Amino acid sequence: MRKYLLLFLVFSVSLFVLLVGFNFQSDAIADNEYVGTDTCKGCHKDYYDSYAKSIHAKKAIPGSPANREGCESCHGPGGVHADKGGGKGVAIFAYNKKMSPMERSAKCLGCHRDSRHLVNWDVSRHKTADVSCDNCHSVHWATKGKNLLKAPEPDVCYTCHKIIRAQVNKQSHHPINEGKVKCSDCHNTMGTFNVKTMLKADSVNELCYKCHAEKRGPFVFEHPPVVENCLICHQVHGSNHSYLLDKKTPQLCQSCHNVAFHQTYPFNKQDTFTGTKPFFKAGLVARSCRNCHTNIHGSNGDLFLR
Amino acid sequence: MTCVIPGFNAFSEDLTIEGELAGTGEYIGVTGEGGGKAKFTEYRDLKEHGGFYGRGRFDLDAPDYFLRFNMTDPGYTDQYYDLEGGMYGKFKLDLFFDEIPHNVTFDAKTFFLGAGHDVLVGTPNANVATWNTFDYSTERKIYGGSLKFDMFKPFFFDVSYTSEKKDGIKPAGVFDFDTFGSLFEIPEPVSYLTNQVNLSAGYSQNPLFLSFNYFYSRFNNSNTYLFIDPAALTAPDNLLSLPNDNDFYKLAFKGAIKLPFNTRFSTNISYGKGTSETTFVPSYDGKVKRYNYDVILTSNPIRCLDAKFYYKYYKWDNKSDVDPAVVEPSFFTYRTATYGTDFGLRLPYRFYFTAGYKYVDTKRSFHQAPGEELPDNKDNIFYTELKWNGLDFMDLRVGYERMDRQTIWPNLIAHYTPDNPARMFAYQAQDMNAFNAYIDVYPIDNLNIGFGYKYKKSNYEGDGVAGGVAGPGFFGLKKDQRNDFNFSIDYVIGKIAKVFGYFDFEKIKLYQDQFSLEVGAPWQVDQRDITYGFGIGADIYVIPNKLTFKFLCNYVNANGAADYSLDPATFGLTGLPINLNQWDDYTKYGIGFKAIYTVTKNLTSWVGYAFERFKYSDDQLNNYQYVFADSFFGAPGTAYLTGAYKNQSYRANIVFAGASYKF
Repeated sequence: MRKYLLLFLVFSVSLFVLLVGFNFQSDAIADNEYVGTDTCKGCHKDYYDSYAKSIHAKKAIPGSPANREGCESCHGPGGVHADKGGGKGVAIFAYNKKMSPMERSAKCLGCHRDSRHLVNWDVSRHKTADVSCDNCHSVHWATKGKNLLKAPEPDVCYTCHKIIRAQVNKQSHHPINEGKVKCSDCHNTMGTFNVKTMLKADSVNELCYKCHAEKRGPFVFEHPPVVENCLICHQVHGSNHSYLLDKKTPQLCQSCHNVAFHQTYPFNKQDTFTGTKPFFKAGLVARSCRNCHTNIHGSNGDLFLR
Repeated sequence: MTCVIPGFNAFSEDLTIEGELAGTGEYIGVTGEGGGKAKFTEYRDLKEHGGFYGRGRFDLDAPDYFLRFNMTDPGYTDQYYDLEGGMYGKFKLDLFFDEIPHNVTFDAKTFFLGAGHDVLVGTPNANVATWNTFDYSTERKIYGGSLKFDMFKPFFFDVSYTSEKKDGIKPAGVFDFDTFGSLFEIPEPVSYLTNQVNLSAGYSQNPLFLSFNYFYSRFNNSNTYLFIDPAALTAPDNLLSLPNDNDFYKLAFKGAIKLPFNTRFSTNISYGKGTSETTFVPSYDGKVKRYNYDVILTSNPIRCLDAKFYYKYYKWDNKSDVDPAVVEPSFFTYRTATYGTDFGLRLPYRFYFTAGYKYVDTKRSFHQAPGEELPDNKDNIFYTELKWNGLDFMDLRVGYERMDRQTIWPNLIAHYTPDNPARMFAYQAQDMNAFNAYIDVYPIDNLNIGFGYKYKKSNYEGDGVAGGVAGPGFFGLKKDQRNDFNFSIDYVIGKIAKVFGYFDFEKIKLYQDQFSLEVGAPWQVDQRDITYGFGIGADIYVIPNKLTFKFLCNYVNANGAADYSLDPATFGLTGLPINLNQWDDYTKYGIGFKAIYTVTKNLTSWVGYAFERFKYSDDQLNNYQYVFADSFFGAPGTAYLTGAYKNQSYRANIVFAGASYKF
């Protein structure tokens, strides 16, 4: 037992040293010098022009690259790169796969760390998933609009979140593709205290109530799952079922409710408009349970949410 | 305009002014009934037979300040305006106005007069041809602004305000519970006003961040109730309560401090209070207090390791009061406590491994109703992901998540009466497994190919009661299984063309185990939902920078069904069709062509054609009847509907031409 313990300790320490050593390898280029933005412009005019038009070239902003080393504020000293005749990533910090996401983000955070918009970056799901700033933003080739995005919302988000794209394309959906609701209306991609979903509120319901305040209540007669979490019944991005419901009524309601009277019956084809042997058509057709239980989010008039 | 604006289309060191004005004339031909025409313009204002749609942009950029203006569709019910300006590094002001329509069904019908108002007058009759028509449609008009001050960095101050007016009509339903006579689908008036203000002030400079926030929201409904003519419904069923006025405020403190070894401690502490009132129950005093505490510790002590520890406490405490002689009080309160940790490890050869654990403890109770109960839950959630980008042309990611939910009933046997053997899937014991895998390939420059797959299965377990004895398993939702698959491709062919495409597939299977107390027999239902969609598009640069052809095609198909397992003889359904095979089935596709010709550096024109088709079928709406005989709790009665969501299919042809001028 002692032998195995010793072996485990030796292995752990070795692994630790190896990982630490590996991660302290430096890519720094020794004896490098700043050459100035005009030198960069000589070979990279397109990049220079896009930088010059961007907010990064504003001297009015304290600490902006325009008040520091220009292009070399982000890409590092270009002396050796210029001496070697240039080349993609040669002796210069390039935003490509040769640099890890953490290294690429660190360059941006070098200046933007103090921003109140990035205060929760360390807790964000994007950082945990090793998403770097340049996955979504571009200094040089940003689309017209805010925040220097590579593409407008939601396209930039769909690059990774393809399942969300599929949901938004469904027949019942928030008007995301129509441009009336943006991903950033509900999510803060830089991180929030909602660690996994990065919602811009302390709870799902508080977020929903910002646009759907009529459901906030409180009501005299409540529907507890409504109060607790809208997502118990709804799909937020898109659904095949009206009202963004996750499941179709009456089965959604029957997932929870089985009290005597009418709730427990299997509403079937015979309960449709043309059924010949119905039990209770109004339990299935049109809006189903909500034909009577209309105040499903809460009622001030009736215990049964009518 | 170009003569007036100095330095037109020139990048001068002092001032840059640029902008664009665009207009598109469209002819639109829509075929469809009221439901279809509303579906076609669900969130858009596209006039049948077309119109002229504008778009504009103005950007003024100086070394110290900027001004930007954007507008789309001026004069239409989906118009948008945004004016933003400020001084760099000092302040930024943003003002906007936005309209969002939501069209559900045009030409709905009712025998009532007064649709859109809080009084409906009319005598029930089956002569649908004489009924009055109206639209189920709502419109939001939102205006607001925000001001962000950075003048006194590191101190900051932000304020924002929005006001939203929502008007229109939405479907509602009322029923004659006294005599079990008639059911009425009715137009409910929507006349809401929501005002919100948000104030934030603080300090942000490494290593410290502090902010204080105040949020206030007030909701007003112009209508308290909807009154229905006694000729249709008698009291008290002829008075439908509507969403009541309410308000909510929140005070929050957020802080973060950087500690040694790249560690950061963050906290969010907030208190909120909501109130409401209603004339329906004058003694009701609606009050909710809500508490939220978050603490998170993140650390990146060595380059290869990210660690996070977090705790969250959230309580929704309903402290409402009401006269118990009038209404038996039962106000729902819950709280959750979440403890979690996750680690990210950067391994050799560009592997990145993350793993985490989260424990969520949820307690539920009813204020002023100790006899009522809902269960408590304890969730153990594990998740892990491995990401690899060791090859320049490929990224790979696989992940797994598992949740075990325990349910604790304070008194299970007392709750599960023969009258209420419900599972309540939202609270019941559950084990959930989810698996996902994604691969992105970049074999050559300008070509991206992506594949993704996600699988999720939830089994709802837990105890119920049978014959007065607690035991495993009971009624309701038992299984929820979802498969998602997606594929995408983007390829830029030099300066000749760009092609892109995607394919999505989703399959959902739900299984419910139920018992009919009316008939005294069990039954089961299997629901499935299969959705697939694809999109392809191409931009072809026929003459680079001069003539471009654009092509786009989108397609979505959904097919659902509910298959029943039961004894037909027991349910009196022998030899009759039972399964519901048209279950939110639809096909939605669009195809568009556009030719863009650059006349001059500033002037661009285009012409194009688009076709859209939406074909919808659902057993709940097919062969629609506005009036039909029904049996309500064994008594004969009549149902009167208005056509909400009826016949949503449509076909639309759009021919358009337009031009834009950039300056």
